[in-house]
Amino acid sequence: MNDIKDLEKKIKKLSLKTKKEESSSKSSSSLGMAMKLSSEMVAAVFVASLIGYYIDKLFKTQPFFLIFLFFLGSVAGIINVVRSSKMINKD
Amino acid sequence: MATNPMSQFEVHSIGPKIQIGNFDLSFTNSSLFMVLTVSIISLFFIGATQKKSLVPDKIQLIAEMAFEFVSKMISETAGKDARPYFPFILSLFLFVLVANLLGMLPYSFTVTSHIIVTFALAFFIFIGVTIVGFAKHGISYLKLFVPSGVPVFLLPLIIVIELISYLSRPVSLSVRLFANMMAGHTMLKVFGSFVVSLGILGGWLPLGFAVALTGLELLVAFIQAYVFAILTCIYLNDALNLHH
Repeated sequence: MNDIKDLEKKIKKLSLKTKKEESSSKSSSSLGMAMKLSSEMVAAVFVASLIGYYIDKLFKTQPFFLIFLFFLGSVAGIINVVRSSKMINKD
Repeated sequence: MATNPMSQFEVHSIGPKIQIGNFDLSFTNSSLFMVLTVSIISLFFIGATQKKSLVPDKIQLIAEMAFEFVSKMISETAGKDARPYFPFILSLFLFVLVANLLGMLPYSFTVTSHIIVTFALAFFIFIGVTIVGFAKHGISYLKLFVPSGVPVFLLPLIIVIELISYLSRPVSLSVRLFANMMAGHTMLKVFGSFVVSLGILGGWLPLGFAVALTGLELLVAFIQAYVFAILTCIYLNDALNLHH
């Protein structure tokens, strides 16, 4: 009888341990998600400005498209950030 | 010993120079570490699946854990439809992870600290996901760029913004991994050179920092591989289950 009780105690202890580990793995994934946000913003601005630069070069309209797409890129970056933070909240 | 913290990222060729057309195809230290990464993964999995016992030994357990981890990640983020892409995501995750961890060894080279490597990975994911989306939904995949419930006069602006946000995916995916790896390794090297220049009297503090940073870098190596794989899953999910 004692053996079974001991075993039960052991199992409870171990299951508590695994629970802790599970929660810690979740927090590490949210740290990864947080890292995601910053680069999302920068990348959109960068890509949009690059496209603007090459459109300008093509049509010889410097610097109209570069400026215009820079602002559009900032908007897209903010939308990206809002979307991914929404996704984090959903989980 | 080189004191320049960036010198660890230099690519130099090993062995004979191979030139085809305008391309220098020599075998470099970067290629060496990529080959090492792939062979470590292959050898590990070949070794782990050798016995296939019902009660797994340690190596088999690690392999099964990696397998299950990625399998869970796919089913949580991309659903059932993404099952056929499991081998791709698993190899992607393991390649980035092992390349990051190999870079943590002293005197080794970090493959993922070069933007051209990470961008090549991210760009092929981007192309692949786009092809998957078009293959599954046909021309209606373009609906991804038209969110529902937008007034008509705003559409031209919204479509451009959505297009930019779609095109920025490979850039953000690759820059994140590359920047994290490069920044971490540069910082480690800087603190390492502080230890040498401050000597036995003042060197203890930066040495402590370097030890702590090594732990942090191991965490970052894992997290970045995880993020790289999970974002691939999310993009795949967008392509497979079209909804906005």
